Amino acid sequence: MSKTAWALFAVLGVALGAMWLVFHKSFGNDPHAVPFELAGKPAPRFTMKRLDTGELVKLEDFIGRPIVLNFWATWCGPCKEEHPVLQWAYQKWQRDVVFLGVVFEDTEENTKAFLVQNGSSWPQLYDPKSTVAVDFGVAGVPETYFINRSGVIVGKYPYPIDPQTMTKRISEILQ
Amino acid sequence: MIALSLALALVAGDYAPARQGLEPLDAQREARVMKLGKVLRCAVCQGLSIADSPASMARAQLDKVRELVAEGKTDQEVMDYFVARYGEWALLEPTTNGLNGLLWLGPVVLLVVGLLVIVSLVKKRAPGELAPQAPAAAADDPFLAQVRAELEK
Repeated sequence: MSKTAWALFAVLGVALGAMWLVFHKSFGNDPHAVPFELAGKPAPRFTMKRLDTGELVKLEDFIGRPIVLNFWATWCGPCKEEHPVLQWAYQKWQRDVVFLGVVFEDTEENTKAFLVQNGSSWPQLYDPKSTVAVDFGVAGVPETYFINRSGVIVGKYPYPIDPQTMTKRISEILQ
Repeated sequence: MIALSLALALVAGDYAPARQGLEPLDAQREARVMKLGKVLRCAVCQGLSIADSPASMARAQLDKVRELVAEGKTDQEVMDYFVARYGEWALLEPTTNGLNGLLWLGPVVLLVVGLLVIVSLVKKRAPGELAPQAPAAAADDPFLAQVRAELEK
């Protein structure tokens, strides 16, 4: 084979290798999963109204304590499924961890009616224009964010949470 | 069945209530907002821009664009805000930086290499090589010589 042919094969090999490298990045990933880039970064600051008392709640109010921040809505079936898990977790870790619910794309009336019927002991915050949801990079509900004592987002769980995952993630923010 | 499920969900109130977006900015800045909205992906939709999606979340994202534009942020800073949360997935048209550049350049390189291969193969052939050639033995064939002689008579 001539030198030119070898050179052409080399260029071809490099081009195919580079394309494979690009596609390889996506192999094994859920094509419907929305990327999340805020892990390891400070949680966006927020001020939201507490549904039960009407008082304003800020992220800074909880500096030094780990936070579990759960975005949910009453129209979301999986959110209703995970509600008992959150209640269980709140009962178990309420002394060490701050639990906050954020009502996503819902009305105060619907939310209050749901909470009266299903119970909720942790504060529920209202985000009427979804500005906090956009700041946190929410891509649907339910989504649960785990924030450590320094106010850094350790990660988020974008599915209905189960007791095992909750236990594992809370142990990470308690460290 | 789907229609029945949707009707039941609506009756039961299992849907996200519609919400008003922010007031539009002045014409020039609003045009920028809509232009940016066309290139940013709605976080809860399937491949729709936040300007085209009727989803409430898309309206919230568009409001965020409006807010950032009103604060005097540049187009790049607005896009960076969404990329910082959702990565380049937030952009409907991926950038040509880094590894993405290979995806854009890869097909061009393959095309050029293919053309070079074809050109080199064609060049290697002799000028008359492609034309059909008469068999060399035909001139010396005694049978053909006899046929020609018969024809000339």
